[in-house]
Amino acid sequence: MRFVDEFRDPDLGRALAGEILASVEPGRHYKVMEVCGGHTHSIYKYGIDDLLPENVELVHGPGCPVCVIPMGRVDDGIAIAKQPGVIFTCFGDMMRIPGSNGSLLDAKAEGADVRMVYSPLDALRIAKRNPDRDVVFFAIGFETTAPSTALTLKRARAEGVPNFLCMCNHVTIVPPLRALLDSPDLRLDGFIGPGHVSTVVGARPFEFIPADYGKPVVISGFEPLDVLQSIQMILRQLAEGRCEVENQYTRVVPYEGNLRALEVMSEVFQLRPHFEWRGLGFISQSALALSDAYADLDAERRYEVPGVRVADPKACQCGEVLKGVIKPWECKVFGTACTPERPIGTCMVSPEGACAAYYNYGRYAREREVV
Amino acid sequence: MRCDHDEHCITCGDVAVEMTVLRVDDERCLALCEVGGEKETVEVGLVGPVAPGDAVLVHAGTALQKA
Repeated sequence: MRFVDEFRDPDLGRALAGEILASVEPGRHYKVMEVCGGHTHSIYKYGIDDLLPENVELVHGPGCPVCVIPMGRVDDGIAIAKQPGVIFTCFGDMMRIPGSNGSLLDAKAEGADVRMVYSPLDALRIAKRNPDRDVVFFAIGFETTAPSTALTLKRARAEGVPNFLCMCNHVTIVPPLRALLDSPDLRLDGFIGPGHVSTVVGARPFEFIPADYGKPVVISGFEPLDVLQSIQMILRQLAEGRCEVENQYTRVVPYEGNLRALEVMSEVFQLRPHFEWRGLGFISQSALALSDAYADLDAERRYEVPGVRVADPKACQCGEVLKGVIKPWECKVFGTACTPERPIGTCMVSPEGACAAYYNYGRYAREREVV
Repeated sequence: MRCDHDEHCITCGDVAVEMTVLRVDDERCLALCEVGGEKETVEVGLVGPVAPGDAVLVHAGTALQKA
């Protein structure tokens, strides 16, 4: 398959692993954060961390959109789903995220009409088939997914579908990265930048990381050789005393992003003054709401939602996992009370969540490293 | 196009899938695309004109770039 086989070649992988080994300074500990959950998944699926020297540590970032949804937003979604006449649509993983009193799947079992869709376009199709009912799409995701929601809202407007509504939970990638860089409990040496977010936003938004914080960023693809090469590029920058934004994923990421997508997003969305992130707390201007021009399609303006901030369960340490402060297996409930079948925390729900990636690929426990 | 623990969550994550264009409806900016025998209607308004046989990178039913 084009763009797949050539990026899984074991000989090239071994050669890259050799180059990585040659570029690390003995005695120095390197901490590299992969921002995106998709990279976390690739790293454990292909055993990339086993190819790295012991002093190169990968830290998992907050780039799994399901994992960063706070419980209060799930409760708000369930409140809308339970309104009479509403058909509530969302992506598969979202249905299993626990709220304070059950998940959307539980709400469905109790009689709410909750349906899984594969794209916002599917939700629009349901709205056209059910003109006498409100169809609410629970929109989540970073800038990769936001253009899809924006285009569908524009299509709903153009095709005259007034019963298609959106509960917008889209988030943006730059503010949480800044929050992490400002956090005192995390020392990072560089970032593996998100690949497909960058197809939309381009490489430019990450320039603040080398400029303001002096750390390298390499935007990376998702195949094993992509990730290995990106790690090698970060280590080479560090060895040469450089810090800049480099693009490993040039086959799909143009430096300026997709300008048409950015234009559509700025027409349909506006920045929220602040938004709560699981584990990271409130971050200003880090999420999107529907713009005033699309107020009539905003589910949060049509239906009253509780809007209550709900604390995470005490046993759950998703917050520390999302900040890269602890590894998944260091959480008290990892793999025992919290499993992909019965998740307590969000990081165990999505296959892109760090805990699910560790659990599914057998990383149940490791000796705690003595530093 | 499934959410599957063996693969990435293709709808809510950051992962996009390369698909091949089979048919194009220029007027509605939609294209029927295919990967691994599965077909899906995809928004193509963000990637300029496409033609059958083109490869596009698709996420949540929208083509984000030509591959």
